[in-house]
Amino acid sequence: MKDLLAALRKDLLLQWRGRAQVIAIFAFGAAALLLFSFAIGPDSAALREHAAGFLWLGLLLASTLALAESFEREMEEQALEGLLLLPASTRGLYYGKAIANWAHLALLGVALVPVMVVLYDAGTLRLISLVGVILLGTAGLSAPGTLYAAMTSQTRARQTLLPLLLFPLVVPVLLAAVKATSLLILGDPMGQLRPWTTLLAAFGVIHWSIGGLLFGRVVED
Amino acid sequence: MRQSPTGPKVLVALGVALLLAGSWWGLTKAPGEVYMGEVQRIMYVHVPTAWNAMLALSFAFVCALCFLLTNAWKWDSRLEAAMEMGVVLSLLLCIQGSIWAKPTWGVWWDWDPRLTTTAVMVFAFGGILALRAFVDDPARRAVWSAVACIVAFVDVPIVYFSVKWWNSLHQAQSTPQTVSSAFHLPLRVNAFGILFLWTGLVALRSRVASLRLRNELGPPLPDSRPAVTGAAPIAGGAS
Amino acid sequence: MSGVVQGGWEFVAGAYIVTATILSAYATSVFLRYRTEQRRAAAEAEREARK
Repeated sequence: MKDLLAALRKDLLLQWRGRAQVIAIFAFGAAALLLFSFAIGPDSAALREHAAGFLWLGLLLASTLALAESFEREMEEQALEGLLLLPASTRGLYYGKAIANWAHLALLGVALVPVMVVLYDAGTLRLISLVGVILLGTAGLSAPGTLYAAMTSQTRARQTLLPLLLFPLVVPVLLAAVKATSLLILGDPMGQLRPWTTLLAAFGVIHWSIGGLLFGRVVED
Repeated sequence: MRQSPTGPKVLVALGVALLLAGSWWGLTKAPGEVYMGEVQRIMYVHVPTAWNAMLALSFAFVCALCFLLTNAWKWDSRLEAAMEMGVVLSLLLCIQGSIWAKPTWGVWWDWDPRLTTTAVMVFAFGGILALRAFVDDPARRAVWSAVACIVAFVDVPIVYFSVKWWNSLHQAQSTPQTVSSAFHLPLRVNAFGILFLWTGLVALRSRVASLRLRNELGPPLPDSRPAVTGAAPIAGGAS
Repeated sequence: MSGVVQGGWEFVAGAYIVTATILSAYATSVFLRYRTEQRRAAAEAEREARK
């Protein structure tokens, strides 16, 4: 547990120190949302209807940058080997990093909401629920994302491999998060939100567990 | 390791023979179906391919587990072979499903949960094969593909259920679940045909992988992946 | 509209042909790769034996 907090603190501190990067990733996400609206055309009704999809697609694309970046520093100066030589558990390392990535992605998601509201005229009054969905969805992205980022950051084709490996895996997150967000924006007369958030939660529980179990093997030498 | 290739070759030949027999039966002797007419005959290759694609990828999952537990290279070779075979069968499945969908539903893709999950699997396991191509260290390549295979396989049921719920909101139609008994024979023959075929091919392909690995590592080939350097391995996250 | 899918033999043929093509192409590639590796291993063994 101590290792987890230490790792978490380290990664959050690094994120804070590199906040120019965090802002740049947000700008990338916002630009993606803008491009989606150009691709669809100035049809307000269509944009509003698919706003949830655009938000999560933009978030997913930006997440590959954020996740890859979280391991960049470990690659420089062979910091990863240094970390592993410490008498710290790899499980603590994994969860610390995954939580830090989760925080980054959740922040990114929340920051993109106003962009979505403005560009697609797609807002909601159920803000707490929306934040909840963003938290659940980004948790689902962060767990497998941290595991795969650890692998791909050590390979030659790191920029292509991470999305290639991650995207098929997080299809359930995309489906569920978009559906849930859509219900919040467009209205949910039949109360269908719960099954989707449950799916997100289940995905999260499964992948946070196996991620912790397998991370040790991924970074061992 | 001077294994004779006769075993696998016999399996492949047997598989091909069964497939030809089953397909001939399905195409000529079996009756046309009541509602789907002749298009139903696609099922005689489509359903067996589906069963075997799932079997091949399940075997890949077992190989991944065995490798992580035993660290024996042979499981890595089998993993590579099984994943490649699984991807080929799954890709074939998607194409067959598409050809079946066009005359039936009028579109090339109808987002059927099983077929959509298969498409996701093609990308997921294909991605792992791509990962293997970019990792030079054999030990790392083996561990990482095993880990990735386990994560991808565990994900398959989740993908299936999420697509099923997602799709049920839009579609009332579904692909036929049951096949009446008149059609069982060609189905079973073809199922065994593809089973023997892929088993033989995976056996051969594993040997290709082993031979390449032997070449990569240089003699003598240790039976297991070398242990972590240093007195005690730090792997596993012992806290 | 009788409710029965009419014709469709071209789709059936397409499906079987695609199946046959993909399976035989893959099988061929496995056999070819196996032969290549066998030959290389044999050549290596010969070189070792000669040393």
